[in-house]
Amino acid sequence: MYGKKRGHRRTGSRTWGSLGEALFFGFFLVLGSLFLAGLLNMLVVPEWRVNHEFIETQGTVLMTRLGEPEDHEPDDEPADDAPPLYRPEVLIEYRAGGKTYQEKTYDIHFHSDRAFTADRDAQAEALAAFEEGEKIAVWYDPADPQTVVVVRGYTWLLWILLLLPVAFILIGGVGLVLTLFHWGKSIEHRVATTQMASRLNPLKEAKQGGVEFPFVPQDSNLTNSPGTRLKYRLPIDLSRGWRLVAILAACLFWNSIVAVFAVIAVNSHLAGRPEWLLTLFVLPFAAVGLAIIYFFVREVLVVTAVGPTQLEISDHPLRPGGRYHAYVSQGGRLTINSLDLSLVCDEVATYRQGTDTRTEQACVYSQPLLHRQQVELLPQAAFEEQLDVEIPAECMHSFKADHNEVRWRLLVRGDIAGWPPFERSFPVVVVPLLAGNQP
Amino acid sequence: MKVPLVSIKIDNRQAAHVPGETLSGEYQIDAVEAAELDAIELSVLWYSEGKGDEDLGVHHFERRTDEDEDPTPLTELRKFSVTLPNSPLSYEGVLIKLRWCVRVRVFLKSGRNHFAELPFRLGTAPEGRLVAPPLETVEEPSPAAVTDGAARGGVD
Repeated sequence: MYGKKRGHRRTGSRTWGSLGEALFFGFFLVLGSLFLAGLLNMLVVPEWRVNHEFIETQGTVLMTRLGEPEDHEPDDEPADDAPPLYRPEVLIEYRAGGKTYQEKTYDIHFHSDRAFTADRDAQAEALAAFEEGEKIAVWYDPADPQTVVVVRGYTWLLWILLLLPVAFILIGGVGLVLTLFHWGKSIEHRVATTQMASRLNPLKEAKQGGVEFPFVPQDSNLTNSPGTRLKYRLPIDLSRGWRLVAILAACLFWNSIVAVFAVIAVNSHLAGRPEWLLTLFVLPFAAVGLAIIYFFVREVLVVTAVGPTQLEISDHPLRPGGRYHAYVSQGGRLTINSLDLSLVCDEVATYRQGTDTRTEQACVYSQPLLHRQQVELLPQAAFEEQLDVEIPAECMHSFKADHNEVRWRLLVRGDIAGWPPFERSFPVVVVPLLAGNQP
Repeated sequence: MKVPLVSIKIDNRQAAHVPGETLSGEYQIDAVEAAELDAIELSVLWYSEGKGDEDLGVHHFERRTDEDEDPTPLTELRKFSVTLPNSPLSYEGVLIKLRWCVRVRVFLKSGRNHFAELPFRLGTAPEGRLVAPPLETVEEPSPAAVTDGAARGGVD
């Protein structure tokens, strides 16, 4: 936990911060441990003992029936709307340790509430495996011969529950270990240790950039696709696609909730007993839902109706003062009022404000590379053009850290009559100019 | 309460140091006895200032404690020498400022720690200027920006 710097000072005390972190992770660890202990005691250990420690003997089925909770606890009145619950009950007679016992049982969870379910048919089917007077194998607890079962096995579905406390223990345990490991260490010591660990982890290498240019994004993802005209075909920035997914999620979430109330309101009108208060309440929410649908459809049309944009470049990474060839191709079947290609550099800053994470962006360089008007796109003839891109000799290189980024990109922007403008962004990496790596 | 006096000096100090150059200098602790010191850390690092939350990268880190085999007292003059990396370069942008410094942090046996740092500039990246409206409101650059050449310090 690094406090936000305000001038020369950080807000908050690091010791209290570390203590808070330790308590937070410790809470998770204790909660997970208690939950795990409870599950082990309630589920894992009894089932394991039945399958490994219980002694097998022969018993006789005296009676079978579907039991209901009321049979055992008449004081507990079930709620009016609660469905009836059942469990299979098998009354058996068996001998253990020289004594004869008669016990009502089924599996090891017989005496817990989990033995009851509302699925009467399933319980009856389980009970059908036993016939009165039949000799069957039963298993009893050598430590308590009155504890006996007629069915063994594991409840695998419940075992999935174990994942929950294990996840809590992992989060709490790892967090606590890291907090204690960092306890009392300066921020420089912590960061140096973290960076060292990151360097040893090949999966994290991209986060800190490469060895030659630390904290400059690596370009391996930008140069793994050869172009048809030039050396590399640049991948498109997918952030707009994710935005579309986010709008779709918001659209579904909002409208599914509104739909429930809308259906109730409409039904009340159809039934001749109109719920005017509910109707008036739902209307503004429905209007917002329709607006989200309109916005989503509009975005989908912009993304899908305009054909694919391809951008290729003669070399990569780019260097200050370097001159490169670029090739742009725009497909589709429509007329574009104007089509622009620009080289853009943005600063992107991410910060936390309360519980929100906000991102701000400022454009610090924009160079128009191409401007065409009234571009007619035909399916058999995409718009194509080759041009030169010159990186300014004096410029800040690409930079990426956890919360701050200097981002270079080639931006294609189209203006279509009657449609919102479309933008397609192609990230590029500009590395610092060093003695010996002049373009 | 004694406050250690930390002196940091960079040899051959320039307006801007070149990536790959060797940055050398020395530091010394005064105003406290060596016996009062628990450890000293020297870091050559960059950190961000501005709108975003702080990022920090440590290029060089060394820690000396009173338990080291080195018999030299922690208060004595100590030299350092570091080859500067190729990036990130110092930068004065609209939302982001990247600053390099040599930082010395002194840990006292009392549990407190004090630090002092000497900024320097890596590379000659030009100042960033807003050329188009950002997507959201842009705040003025932080008034807490450190002027190159001025040492600063603090207590944690």
